[in-house]
Amino acid sequence: MIDNPTPLVQGTLDMLILKTLALEPQHGFGIAQRIEQISRGVFQVNAGSLFPAFRRLERDGLVEGEWRATTNNRRAKYYRLTSFGRRKLDAETKEWGRQTAAIARILEAKA
Amino acid sequence: MSLISRLAVGLGALFGRRKADEDLDSELRDYLDAAVAEKVRRGMTRDEAVRSAHLETGSLESVKEEVRDVGWEVMIETFGRDVRFALRVMAKNPGFTLIAVLTLALGIGATTAIFSAVNTVLLEPLPYRQAERLVTIWGVNKGQRYDLVSDLDYLDWKSQNRVFESMGASTDEMFTLTGAGEPESIIGYEFSPDFFGVLGVPPLIGRTFAADEDEPGKDRVVVLSYHLWGGQFGGDRSVIGRSITLDGQPYTVIGVMPPSFQYPQGTDLWTPLTVDANDTRDRGSRFLRVMARMKPGVTLPEARMEMGTIAARLRSAYPKTNEGYDVNLVTLRQLISGDVRPALLVLLCSAGLVLLIACANVANLLVSRAVARQREIAIRAALGASRARMIRQFLTESVLLGLVGGALGWLIAYGGASALVAMFPKTIQNLSIPRIDSIPMDRWVLGFALLASLTTGILFGLAPALGAGRSSPGDSLRESGRTGSGGAQGRRLRNVLVVSEVAFSLMLLASAALMIKSFFHLVGANLGFRPNHVLSLRVLLPEYKYKTDTQRAAFSRETLSRVQSVPGVGAAASVTFIPLSMWWGTRQVSALGHPPDPAQKVPQPVWSAITPDYFRVMRIPLLKGRFFSRTDDASTPAVAILSSSLARQLWPNEDPIGKQVSVDGLKNPCKVVGIVGDVYHLGVGIQPNGGSPELTSEVYFPYEQSPTPLLGYVIRTAGDPLSVAKAVQSAIWAVDKEQAISFVETMDQLASETIVIERSSMILLGAFAALAVLLASIGIYGVISYTVARRTYELGIRIALGAGRSQVLRLVIGEGFVLALLGAAIGTAGALSLTRFLSSLLYGVRSADPFTFLAAPVVLLGVAVAACLVPARRALRVDPVVALRNE
Repeated sequence: MIDNPTPLVQGTLDMLILKTLALEPQHGFGIAQRIEQISRGVFQVNAGSLFPAFRRLERDGLVEGEWRATTNNRRAKYYRLTSFGRRKLDAETKEWGRQTAAIARILEAKA
Repeated sequence: MSLISRLAVGLGALFGRRKADEDLDSELRDYLDAAVAEKVRRGMTRDEAVRSAHLETGSLESVKEEVRDVGWEVMIETFGRDVRFALRVMAKNPGFTLIAVLTLALGIGATTAIFSAVNTVLLEPLPYRQAERLVTIWGVNKGQRYDLVSDLDYLDWKSQNRVFESMGASTDEMFTLTGAGEPESIIGYEFSPDFFGVLGVPPLIGRTFAADEDEPGKDRVVVLSYHLWGGQFGGDRSVIGRSITLDGQPYTVIGVMPPSFQYPQGTDLWTPLTVDANDTRDRGSRFLRVMARMKPGVTLPEARMEMGTIAARLRSAYPKTNEGYDVNLVTLRQLISGDVRPALLVLLCSAGLVLLIACANVANLLVSRAVARQREIAIRAALGASRARMIRQFLTESVLLGLVGGALGWLIAYGGASALVAMFPKTIQNLSIPRIDSIPMDRWVLGFALLASLTTGILFGLAPALGAGRSSPGDSLRESGRTGSGGAQGRRLRNVLVVSEVAFSLMLLASAALMIKSFFHLVGANLGFRPNHVLSLRVLLPEYKYKTDTQRAAFSRETLSRVQSVPGVGAAASVTFIPLSMWWGTRQVSALGHPPDPAQKVPQPVWSAITPDYFRVMRIPLLKGRFFSRTDDASTPAVAILSSSLARQLWPNEDPIGKQVSVDGLKNPCKVVGIVGDVYHLGVGIQPNGGSPELTSEVYFPYEQSPTPLLGYVIRTAGDPLSVAKAVQSAIWAVDKEQAISFVETMDQLASETIVIERSSMILLGAFAALAVLLASIGIYGVISYTVARRTYELGIRIALGAGRSQVLRLVIGEGFVLALLGAAIGTAGALSLTRFLSSLLYGVRSADPFTFLAAPVVLLGVAVAACLVPARRALRVDPVVALRNE
C-alpha cells in the first residue's frame, strides 16, 4: 500500500464508479476494491466518500441499485449502470480525454 | 433527473426514512463483512482484520450522516432537529433564557416603538394627493422667514409663475357658532375656491367650493370638518343644505371633509376667501398663507429660483411696499413635522443604542454559555459532527432567541406606542406637529421588529459559534476547566462586549443628563412675567354684535368689574394676545421725528391692547414712567407703553418717555408714557418653525383707545386659578350670555404646554439611559461573576497563601473597575463628539457641559462597582480547601 493516497475529487470518483460498473454490476465493497486494484493503489476510496457517491448517482439516475441474496444467505445491494449512466460515462470520458490532452500540452510547452 | 422527480424523491425520502436507514445500515454492515473477509484472505487474523476494517471505514454513524446529507430534504430535517434541540436547551436553562429574552425584548421594544413614531410622523404619506409636490410659500421680510402674504402679491405670484400647476391662499378666522347649544368659538379657515383643488382631497359628502363662490353674495357657504360634523351635528348626513349661523350670518353647509383632512391643524370649518383684484387693497397688508402644487417634473430648487425672480420683479415694481421682500418655499412635509423631527431623531438614535447594549448583553450570555458548553461541543465533534453543523446549531438557537425576544418586544412596542401618543400632544397652537391620534403598528414596523430580532440573533449567535468551532476537541476534553484556549478567547470577547456596553450607556447617560438639566433650566426660566396663580381665557367679540368701539370698551369695563368682585380674585385685566398662547400679531413701530435708518430694519414688535391692571396681574416690572390708568381713554391723547428692548431700538441713547411713536394701523401717533420689562411672548421652548427663544419687543396700548374684538383675560388668584374659573365665566356671561369663551386654562398650563416636547423627550431619554445603565451593570455583573467562578482555584490558592480580604476585593472589583473605566473613557469621548447634535434641543446648557461630563462617568463607575459587589462577596467566601480540591 502506498502511504499517501491521493484524495479523489467528487466528480472524478463518480466517473470511476461508473467505469467500474460498466464492466459488470457490483456491490459496495467490490467497487472499492476494483478501483484500488486497477489504479494500482493510487486511489483508495473510503466508505465515507463511496456511499454518499452511490446515493448521488442513484438519485441522478445514473445507476440502479438492487438487492440480491449473497452466498452466505444475506442481502447485499448491487449497483448497475443504467443506459443513461452509460451515455454519461461516454460523454465524461471524452471530456476527460480532452482536458488531459490540453493540460499535457500546456505542461510540455517550451517556455 | 428532472426537478419534479427530484422533489418527489426527496419527499419520498422524508417519509420513507426509516426503511432507507435500515437498508443503508445493512449495506454498510455488508461492506464491513466483505472488507474483513478480504483481509482474512490476505492473511490477517480475524481480530486484526475486524479492527483494521473498522479503522479504515471510520465511524459508521458518520458515514451514515454523510450519506444522509445528500439530497435537499435533509435540510428541512436537520432544521427541524436543530429547532427542537434549541428549544430543549432553552427550556433547560430557564434563568438564562428569561434574562436573554427580556433583555432583547426591551431593546427591540423600545426601538420599534420609536421607529413606529418616526414612521408615522416623519415618513407616513400625507393625506393629500401627491403631497410631495405641495409647497407652502412664505414671505421673507426683514429677517422673518415665515411672513404672511398680501393678496396683491399672491395674485401676481399666481399669474406670473410657470412652475406651479395650481396655487391657493388661505387665512384664519374665528367665528361664533350660535343656534346649536352653547355659543361656540370656532376656528375657521378661509380658502380660496381652488385651495381644496390644490390639496387634491375630495370631500366625504357634498362638495367643496365652486369657482365663483368667492364673490360677495355667493360666499355664504361652508365646508365642515369631520370632527365638527361628528361633534356638533352628530354625523347626520342630512346636514348638507342646512343653514348654520356664524357670527350672526346664515351659512349653507355644502360639504364635509374626511377625517384625515386636517389642513391646517385643528380647523373646524372652511369658508370661501375673497381675493378680488379690483378691490383697492394695500399690497403691504399681509395676512394670507399660500400653498401651491408644483408641476410634474419641477424640482424645489427650480421653483425657488422662479419665485425668487418674481419677487425681485415685484421689488422693483413696488419699492414702497416690497422693498427687501423675498420668498421662502417650504415643503408641506417640512412644515408639518419640522418642529418635532430633531427630538424624534435623537430618540431614535438613543433607542438604537439601547438595542445595541441589549444585544451586547445577550451576546455576553451566549458566549459564556458557549464556553461552558465546550465539553458538549468537543464530544459532538468527536462523534463526527462537522464544524458547519455546529455553527448552524448555535445560529438556530440564537435566531430563535432573537425571534422570541422580538415577539415580546413587539408587545412592549405596542404598549409603548400608545404611551408615546399620550406623551406627545395632539396639537400645540401654531407649532408644527402632525396630529397623531394613534401610532399604527403597520407592516413596516412589524418588518422592522422582525429585522431587528433576526439581525441581533445572527450577529450574536455567530460570535460564540465561531469561537466554539475553533478549539480542538481533544484539548477541550482534556482541560480541567481551569484554563483553556476557548476560555481565554471567550473572555476577551466578553470584555470587549462589556466595555462597549459601558461606553454606550455612558453616552446615553450623558445625553439624558444634559436634557434633564436643560429641562430644569426651562422650567425655572424667567419668562419676564409670573405665570403662577393666573387664570386665562379668551373671548372674541363678534362683529355683528359689537360694531363700535364704544360697545367693545363697555363690554370690557363691565366684565372686568364683575370679574374683579369674584371671591378669590386678586386682580384682573385683559390683553389682546396672551403671552404663551401662541397667538400674536405684530405692527411696525417707528420713532416720530427720527428719520428711519434705511440700513436698520423697522421694529415690528408684538402689540396688545391692555387694561391698566395688566402689568400688575402679570407682575411685569415697570422700568420707567408709569402704567396706563383710567384717565387714558378715548377722549385723551393716544399713549403707548414700550418694552425695554423696543425702547432701546428706537432711542438707543435717549430717554424715551415723552417721545412720540407712529404705529402702523393707528391713525394718530402715541406718546410714550412708560417702559416695562421684556417678556418671552412665545415662551422658551421650541419656537414655531425653528429659531431660538428670544425676548419679544412689545408695544402696548390702552384698551379704551384701541378696543380690539379679541380679549384675553388674565386673572391673578389667591389660590388655585381653576377654582374661580366657573365664577369668572358666569361673571362674563352675566354681561352677555351669548358670548363664547374659549381656552380657559391657567398660565402654568400654557407654560407647560410650550415645553411639552422637551419634557417628553427628557422623560424618554431618561428612561432609555436608566435602562442602558441597568443593562450595562447586568453585563458587568455577569462578566465579573463568571471571572470569579473560573478563578475559584486561583483565589483558593491566594487565600490559602494568606491573601487578605482587601486584596481579594481589589482583585475582583479591580477587574470590573478597569473594564468600566475603559468603557467610560471611550463613552465620554463618543458622547463629547455626538452631543452637539442635541444642541437644538438644549436650553441654557452647553452640549459639552463640564459638570455633566464629570458626573456621568462617576455615576456609571459607582454603578459598576456596585455590580461587582455580589461576585466580590462570593469571592471572599471561597473556602481554599474546597477550591483546591475541586479544581
